[in-house]
Amino acid sequence: MFAPEYGAVTAVRKHRLAQARERTENALKHLLRQATDGHAASFTSLQGALRMGDRQLMALTQRLEREGLVRSEGAQFQLTAEGERVALHVLRAHRLWELYLADELGVPIHRVHEAAERAEHSLSKAQLDRLSAAMGHPVMDPHGDPIPTGDGSVPESPGTPLGAWPPSTPGRIVHLEDEPPLAYAQLSAEGLRLGQVIRVVDRSPTRVVLSDGENEYRLAPMVASNIHVAAVTAAQVAQPWPEGVLPLSGLPSGASAEVIALDPAFRGFARRRLLDLGFTPGARIRSDLATFAGDPRAYRLRGTTIALRREQSDRVLVKPLA
Amino acid sequence: MSESLTVTPGDIVREAAALRRSLDAGFREEVVTSLYGEVERITRRAVQDSGSGPLELDQRIDRVVTSRLFGLPLMLGILAVIFWLTIVGANVPSQMLATGFFWFEDLAAAWFTQLGVPWWVTGFVWHGVYRGLAWVISVMLPPMAIFFPLFTILEDLGYLPRVAFNLDYLFKRAGAHGKQALSMAMGFGCNAAGVIATRVIDSPRERLVAILTNNFVPCNGRFPTLIMLATIFVAAAFPPAVASLVAAGAVVGIVLVGVAFTLVVSWALSRTVLRGEASAFTLELPPYRRPAMARILYTSLIDRTLFVLWRAIVTAAPAGAVIWLLANISPGGVSLATRTADFLQPLGWAMGLDGVILLAYIIAIPANEIVVPTMLMVYMSQGMMTEMDSMDGLRALLVDQHGWTMLTAVNLMLFSLLHNPCATTIITIYKETLSAKWTAIGALMPLALGFIVTLFTAAVARAVFGF
Repeated sequence: MFAPEYGAVTAVRKHRLAQARERTENALKHLLRQATDGHAASFTSLQGALRMGDRQLMALTQRLEREGLVRSEGAQFQLTAEGERVALHVLRAHRLWELYLADELGVPIHRVHEAAERAEHSLSKAQLDRLSAAMGHPVMDPHGDPIPTGDGSVPESPGTPLGAWPPSTPGRIVHLEDEPPLAYAQLSAEGLRLGQVIRVVDRSPTRVVLSDGENEYRLAPMVASNIHVAAVTAAQVAQPWPEGVLPLSGLPSGASAEVIALDPAFRGFARRRLLDLGFTPGARIRSDLATFAGDPRAYRLRGTTIALRREQSDRVLVKPLA
Repeated sequence: MSESLTVTPGDIVREAAALRRSLDAGFREEVVTSLYGEVERITRRAVQDSGSGPLELDQRIDRVVTSRLFGLPLMLGILAVIFWLTIVGANVPSQMLATGFFWFEDLAAAWFTQLGVPWWVTGFVWHGVYRGLAWVISVMLPPMAIFFPLFTILEDLGYLPRVAFNLDYLFKRAGAHGKQALSMAMGFGCNAAGVIATRVIDSPRERLVAILTNNFVPCNGRFPTLIMLATIFVAAAFPPAVASLVAAGAVVGIVLVGVAFTLVVSWALSRTVLRGEASAFTLELPPYRRPAMARILYTSLIDRTLFVLWRAIVTAAPAGAVIWLLANISPGGVSLATRTADFLQPLGWAMGLDGVILLAYIIAIPANEIVVPTMLMVYMSQGMMTEMDSMDGLRALLVDQHGWTMLTAVNLMLFSLLHNPCATTIITIYKETLSAKWTAIGALMPLALGFIVTLFTAAVARAVFGF
């Protein structure tokens, strides 16, 4: 019960400390976000973001000022240099962790935000540096938000909000805002993803219609405003797949084909694994063996036999050879 | 360093960081694609393709080995042959080793007596510790020395990836990884080795599933129990000429039950404590290779057999001592072994077993191979571990004197599949997971399952068939 390291008293105190750290960091995060968006942060905006009572929040802001993380000017709060450093660390932790979950562990993309909200408060700078190095110093989280660097600089958020994008002009999706989660869930359920090239086909006060040339997406303006797009270079305009392209899983047994591409929505570890095995555009492939259940299947590729589950072979686009 | 060099490492890092941001998201892909393009260019220039005879043979073998029709039966057939060879081949060397070891035991005990060493020292050292070790070596060494090389040949041929390929669909449905079939196959030799073999699985979740379920395939230490039961209760009904075949078939049947439990428990884990989607599965089916016999003998005998045997010896020595003490300390004229067995009797009965069997399983936590000898020792109320000479004598002892029925046999087979892993495996699980929690789950979950299943089958058998 009272044991110095494992006792219940220590456990309660540790929990309190962790909770205090979480509140501090969430407050700093809110101030950083407001500053980035060009808004002032007030007692009311903090209260909305942190969902805390008057008295608790008062104590928190006073503590933050005392610790030199925040200074107040009238009714407004601003981050000090030290406060910004801490806030950027938390932001970096959040975005790196999201990317790690989505790309390396294959966690569904609509579930990474919530998990990162918890993990961001318990990662140290050294851990983040290692994580970043292990993933090849990534620059964007899975939603297209820039990841702050270790020395504390934040690259600019790319792109223009969809609301300010001229109609009928192709734009490449560079950012899908993940807050509020409900709006994000709808975007990802519709199948919109980073890198997709879209046009605004129709805009009215009640809905926005987008098209990527194949599918039309009808969104509420509120939801559509969470999409940011950027100008498209010629190379980025999606070329329509050549005639007759099908997923590898649809290739009849014994037939040969040429690999055209890997599905752009297929990312992270699993994608890299297929690339490393030689599933690169132009490679010749033959559907070779099937098990009793027809899944997995084995394919001949570059002189080796490689077995894939249907989940992977669905993501490889091939063009059958005559 | 010349003076004109004004670029510092810091400049390079900064420049790289700035350039990184301007890279397209797909640049890794372009790197890999260009690497493969370069490789293709070089091979076109430097490598000549002289018709591919062996390759075609490989592919023809693969057509059969992984075919929808023959793939699974062939696999079971190969498994049955390996078990049969192990059962038949291990018999004689086991007997010889046992005879030799026990001859030396008598000799050494006689020396001790002549030298005037007190009887309890002689008993403890020779009839306790030494006899425990001798038993484990003579029962374990020959089957392992046959099973591991045979298994390594399959591995070396390149057959095991085909097994993983054949079974992957079942494991995928269970939310597990296809390579779990590989670690499972290693588990037949030794569950501790099987737990280590799960390192080939990338995904931490699926690796944990494979670790926790590895114990559901019977290891070498448990085969003697299964073989004994198969011989007494199944093969006894057949002519001697086919008895060993029938015994091997029965063992394969038990193995299939174990595989079924592996899949069901993997499925349950993937939907509860280890929730998650089946991860990517890419498996290379390497070309078949001629096994390198010298290397096979070395790796299977030194790396596997002796390694596993050594750990069994380390745990069996204290167990031998405990058995001797339990059987020889007799407060009030009744040995501790008998007292404990009587205490466990009600639970044993409810599980369709008896107190002696449960006691044997408690003593055998360090090494499963001493289950049968411990049982026989208590049954015969003799002061040390022993082996019956013939299967008929064994049958008479178990069925006629101690009331074993088909229910006892079936439930003992089930409990042999479903109980806590041996101490070596538990330690290995801890070393591999570094988590006390998963180690506890890995140890207790199969045991709980064993209790539930045997209590259930015993109740059903008694209610429906009137055992």
